[in-house]
Amino acid sequence: MADSIALPQNPPISISTKFLRLIPGVALLAVIGFAGKLLEKNINLYAKSHHWTIPNIEYVLWAILIGLAISNIFGLARIFKPGVATYEFWLKAGIVLLGSRFLLGDVWKLGSVSLLLVFIEIAGSLAFMTFLGRLFRLRPKLTTLLAVGSAVCGVSAIIATKGAIEADDEDSSFAIAAILALGALSLFTFPLIGHALHLSDHAYGAWAGLAVDNTAEATAAGALFSDSAAKLAVLVKTTRNALIGFVVLAYAIYWASRGQAQAVTNKAAFLWQKFPKFVLGFLLVSVLATVGFFTKDQNTNLANLSRWAFLLTFAGVGLRTNFREMRLQGLRPFAVGFIGEIAIAAFTLALVIGADRLFHL
Amino acid sequence: MRNDNSTSAAKTNPRLSLDTWAVLIALAAAILIRAGVIHRIPW
Repeated sequence: MADSIALPQNPPISISTKFLRLIPGVALLAVIGFAGKLLEKNINLYAKSHHWTIPNIEYVLWAILIGLAISNIFGLARIFKPGVATYEFWLKAGIVLLGSRFLLGDVWKLGSVSLLLVFIEIAGSLAFMTFLGRLFRLRPKLTTLLAVGSAVCGVSAIIATKGAIEADDEDSSFAIAAILALGALSLFTFPLIGHALHLSDHAYGAWAGLAVDNTAEATAAGALFSDSAAKLAVLVKTTRNALIGFVVLAYAIYWASRGQAQAVTNKAAFLWQKFPKFVLGFLLVSVLATVGFFTKDQNTNLANLSRWAFLLTFAGVGLRTNFREMRLQGLRPFAVGFIGEIAIAAFTLALVIGADRLFHL
Repeated sequence: MRNDNSTSAAKTNPRLSLDTWAVLIALAAAILIRAGVIHRIPW
């Protein structure tokens, strides 16, 4: 009998190799983002020189469209995948830097109004999505994932909840596909609705931050309307993100009480683990900007750096959206997500219009 | 039952999360701009 069996093992990957693997994808994000910026500028210049009146298509939309075309027509080559996956890193770094454009007073005023709106939105969305999941007889844990994904913060909330309630991989893939497909749809519909209803920048930004589930798509939906709308969309969405720990904890306790997940022993540690740390970074930079730590020019530089980070994010949003893969996930979770999202969008739109009249957002 | 990361929140992961990395890199960039190492970022 052999003394031991030698199992084939993958050699450990060094940090430098991991870093090198990111370069092609990050370069692709940068090229697509920059191409979007060039397209916006040059198409406008061309139209102006020919005295044409054409609607301005923002670099945000170009970057997303180029990304969507590459991903859905040619597919994303394996060499680019690790780097493209960094789009979420750029998003979070961009949000931290965006703190320089918010004085603490603005964060306090807008943040407290948005906190109130976010509470109402989360309660309404969780209740409605749970009702729909039951109506369509989805698996209970899939219903939970869809409810959390649409109420709090899209894919990150689904991933955090999946671990906490011990949901199946299949359920989380269904929920993520539904949320991503609906996020992509919102990019094209929200700006049109916002303009049709003549929403103010702040009202639209608050709506995008409340109703669009993924942070990247919420930021992009805001930026497609205006720069100012993007700022507010990020603030409202960040407020929503900050509550992720509480919602996931509530569901973890619920499923543990039914014996279908392990009990949470240390609730404070659980909350800290789930808390999105970039919210703290955003607040810190906002405090520094408020106390005059940065000069006016430095603030402009920070804001520009934040825009570059978002540019990479928008390219990533397009590249990671693959409609063929989403179609394979089945129709029922998508139908529940679709009906739920339309109801949430209408509900939050009414909420924002009401808040705009009351608090003058 | 699966032994997911949520089962014991007290268990700490020695590796920094993506969130933390994003905060650290953004703050490092802010400090470089404040210190004047990076003078101008065009848009």
